[in-house]
Amino acid sequence: MKRVEVFRGEYYDSVTLMLVAKELKKIEGVADATLNMATQANLHIMAYASFPVDSIAASPDDLIIGIDCSDDLWPSVLEKAKTYLVSPPWKSREVSTEYNPKSLEGALSVLPEANLALISLPGRYAAAQASRALERGLNVMLYSDNVSLEEEIRLKTLAKEKGLLVMGPDCGTAVISGKGLGFSNVCPIGPVGIVSASGTGLQEVMVQLNRLGVGVKHGLGTGGRDVKSSVGGISSLAAIDALKDDSEISVIVAIGKPPSPEVRQKITDSLKSSGKHAVACFMGESARSDEPGLRYTTGLEECAVVTASLVRGEDPQLARERLWNDYREVETRGRREGAGISGRFLRGLFSGGTLCYEAAQVAGELLGEVYGNAPLREELKLPDSLDPIENSFIDYGEDEFTQGRLHPMIDPSFRASQLKIQAEDPSVAVVLLDIVLGYGSAANPSEEIVKAINSIDRKNGPLFVAYVCGTEGDPQVYGRQIDLLRKAGVYLFESNRRAAIFAAAAVAGKEKR
Amino acid sequence: MSLKSLLNNGPKVINIGMERFYSDLREQEVETVMVDWKPPLGGKELLGKLRKIRGDSVG
Repeated sequence: MKRVEVFRGEYYDSVTLMLVAKELKKIEGVADATLNMATQANLHIMAYASFPVDSIAASPDDLIIGIDCSDDLWPSVLEKAKTYLVSPPWKSREVSTEYNPKSLEGALSVLPEANLALISLPGRYAAAQASRALERGLNVMLYSDNVSLEEEIRLKTLAKEKGLLVMGPDCGTAVISGKGLGFSNVCPIGPVGIVSASGTGLQEVMVQLNRLGVGVKHGLGTGGRDVKSSVGGISSLAAIDALKDDSEISVIVAIGKPPSPEVRQKITDSLKSSGKHAVACFMGESARSDEPGLRYTTGLEECAVVTASLVRGEDPQLARERLWNDYREVETRGRREGAGISGRFLRGLFSGGTLCYEAAQVAGELLGEVYGNAPLREELKLPDSLDPIENSFIDYGEDEFTQGRLHPMIDPSFRASQLKIQAEDPSVAVVLLDIVLGYGSAANPSEEIVKAINSIDRKNGPLFVAYVCGTEGDPQVYGRQIDLLRKAGVYLFESNRRAAIFAAAAVAGKEKR
Repeated sequence: MSLKSLLNNGPKVINIGMERFYSDLREQEVETVMVDWKPPLGGKELLGKLRKIRGDSVG
């Protein structure tokens, strides 16, 4: 029986809640366990999983525990949950015995030479901490989302006055002097400097550059809203200026969705006058001719390929043409392999926002309208992200899924549960996935995905297509993840775009017959 | 510390929030300090705790 209990004003971070839930699920007789901060989004998800939350009056500052077990077992499991919350058995001895100051000021007394604050608090507390960090002369990486636009503008204006950088809000990835912050892959240091308004966009370009044998010195995030006219590209422009001054950097790359026109102008002007090679990847823009000092690309892999050819002194146009040839071959193969499968629709189930956006764009070109929770056009927005229709792409890293809950790159279990539901839908022909490796990500993300795939109860199930964004140096080891997925019969590709082309072509090939 | 000094000297990080990010930085041998952050008390909880303290002291 599914029961819930609310604990008023009890705050725990999402990692702790995930780990306690995992421990509880190991107890014999516990069919399911979930611990969440009681945001509207989490209550919705719990209701969807049939936990009785309808009559619950709870606020985002309250903890809600849901357990599926017998009435006899309930008190002891709940007691166990409370014990684990107070003294987590997995807490590393190193951290628990270390002195951890209670405030930013305390931390500065321990590490006075600190130059960056990495803030991943719930959004409603994050801006105040970021403000304090800037006042004390620290650059800020703001992983938190749910920070208001007004607060973002205030923080970035303050940073500009002080010669500092605010990366974020909603900045998941950065690399500084080869050291990864947040979600980042293990790649060599090299002559490339990147400014990115997109986290997984930055990861994909770095991973693709790594495959081409090219390293990145700095990858600076800005947060997606930075390039909107309201923010004015404050962080993007500051970051480009800083990369210009770095004599070890020979190519500057800017990545993101298309900026507002006036911000776009400022960014391209700055790139063109950098005195270095520059590459822009404004995803979703139609292809445009290169200009002196600035190459335009429309896809993440193309961005990496052009950048690598500039680093090596080769002709970027030749590199592009080789890539288009590869894409045509992938499409042909997709149409061929898709012919015999059952179902009619493509479902993209993503953990990386930009990877989802890029794949949805590719699918849109081959299949027409593609729905989603973060769609290419507002009229294609799904009424309920838990109930996708026709060809749909869901980004499980969107705010609606991450308020008081872990990002799907850290905890793949929720996406895996949705994968099972989608794959068992007889109208689904192809399921497309991204699996993002690196620091910050789950220890073995493919394991849960494969478990879900193997548990699917459907005759003539769908085709599974995946891209693993990672390197051999990543803690999860690229080769190991690939092996796990391949054994489960998943079609694997070397870039996000290739996987998306194959998946969409398989569905398109089917439609023609 | 300016942005330039961050890029020239490499990151030295104060981590406020997820412990995972702190451990990952340690693994990369980045100098870092973890702040043991708790949300500020407010509203009902604060009142409750104050009442408890008053109750205790009055007996």
